[in-house]
Amino acid sequence: MKTDAFIIASSDQVPRRTLFKRFPIPRNFGVSSSSRIERGKTWPAATSLTRVKTFEIYRYDPDSNRNPRLDRFEVDLDTCGPMVLDALIWIKNHVDPTLTFRRSCREGVCGSCAMNIDGGNWLACTRFIEETQAPARIYPLANMKIIKDLVPDLTHVLAQYEMIEPWLQTKTPAPERERLQTPEDRAALDGYYECILCFCCTSGCPSHWWNGDRFLGPAALLQAWRWLTDSRDEATGERLDNLEDPFRLYRCHTILNCTRTCPKGLNPGKAIAEIKKVIAERQS
Amino acid sequence: MKRLSSTHARPLSPNIQIYRPQLTSVLSIANRISGVALGLCAIALVVWLAAAANGPETYSRYQKILGSWPGQILLLAATFSFFLHLSGGIRHLVWDTVRGFELREIYISGWIVIIISILLTFATWLLSQMIGKGV
Amino acid sequence: MDRYRVQSPLGRATGLGSAKGGFTHWWVERVTAVALGPLTVWFAASLIAHTNGDYQTLIVWLSAPVTTVLMILLLFALFWHMALGLQVVVDDYVHTEAKIWMLLAIRFACVTLATVGIMAMLYIAFGREPHL
Repeated sequence: MKTDAFIIASSDQVPRRTLFKRFPIPRNFGVSSSSRIERGKTWPAATSLTRVKTFEIYRYDPDSNRNPRLDRFEVDLDTCGPMVLDALIWIKNHVDPTLTFRRSCREGVCGSCAMNIDGGNWLACTRFIEETQAPARIYPLANMKIIKDLVPDLTHVLAQYEMIEPWLQTKTPAPERERLQTPEDRAALDGYYECILCFCCTSGCPSHWWNGDRFLGPAALLQAWRWLTDSRDEATGERLDNLEDPFRLYRCHTILNCTRTCPKGLNPGKAIAEIKKVIAERQS
Repeated sequence: MKRLSSTHARPLSPNIQIYRPQLTSVLSIANRISGVALGLCAIALVVWLAAAANGPETYSRYQKILGSWPGQILLLAATFSFFLHLSGGIRHLVWDTVRGFELREIYISGWIVIIISILLTFATWLLSQMIGKGV
Repeated sequence: MDRYRVQSPLGRATGLGSAKGGFTHWWVERVTAVALGPLTVWFAASLIAHTNGDYQTLIVWLSAPVTTVLMILLLFALFWHMALGLQVVVDDYVHTEAKIWMLLAIRFACVTLATVGIMAMLYIAFGREPHL
């Protein structure tokens, strides 16, 4: 019995066994009528092909005034690259040019291609096709307003990021050269500065699903901690005042979907626990 | 006349309808459900105390309900909820000290919570059976 | 609590601003949790030990001073923790005007239940039977 079936040691591991693919609730539970997903088209591949993979992809066309739908595409793996993003590009080139998605670096550093693959949020460019289920289920990032197909509207989550004031705030005037930091000071930023703002974590947080209008979510809170723990920053008190709120911070119940899903292997759950700890420390 | 795309409100992508249940989210909701169940048990506890204070007749009526087979099943469920919420709560208290946040540790502690809850429930049931039969 | 306004994204995200509080609720939930750990284990173990006992044995045990004190502490911590926990559940899922009524109802119910429980313990401890 391989332990990696039960113990996930890093977020890039795909679970080998699945007891439940979804929570046992009605398929359209709590879904508004305009968000209900209809059956879509099937785009079969030529029957002569040997290595064919089926993808079920969420589609939404804002110009059609119709509800979103689920299309099925059959992809020839022999002429397609290894990653899910390669499959999406293959479909766009060979089958349906209207398939719309964000992409840029194709190497997992820009965060553009974040989407929900087989029920978990990840970057399409760093998920191997052979790691996906059959058929592979591609949805946009969970709980986001959809502009078109797999493109979410990130306005609100970016505004929440802006709200935590992600820049250095000082009262001491700038020195002649750089503001000094010891190697230990700089090491405190490791694991937090690397965030690419893909919003996989925030989009996978159930607390953000139910209270996303007021709860900041793991991405913004991880970045809030990045600035709180920066030794050069002098606005720590004001930052903590801004965060200490029953909804902005304390809607986090340590569910830890965020840490499980981060495509960069970062730990938002831990960052939030650190914030709660310094709030406790400043009380006594 | 061309219809504006803004007449159809932007749909919301599915969340709990398609998101994979993982050990993280499942144990978290289990901790909440067991907490609410224990809330109901707290009400039952106060009723039990009031029955005991009221005298032997009221108390024996209450004990009969507990002794019936639906009562026993509820008691077993309450015991499991108690141990699940207790061990889950301890896991949460450890997290509050900012320890045990590596993914491997999260998964190991999660499985420990599940296994310990089942074992302690079974041990409690076995123990009460043995004491009940005068062993 | 639904107010639709034309706001900038930052305005909508800011909402009514930070309440600058929320720590106390989080802290007391943990303090009561730590207290409940040993108290509930003691209570559960005592119940199991008294499985075969009759009414008199139970009353003798319950009316002992140590039991009375621990039971009152247990009821206190239990209903305080319960009120805080249920408040979080309501805050998470209820966003309509019914929220404030549910929060009040939960708080009043917990205080009442704790009082009834403590009263029952005092009746038993001082050997009086309540006349209903």
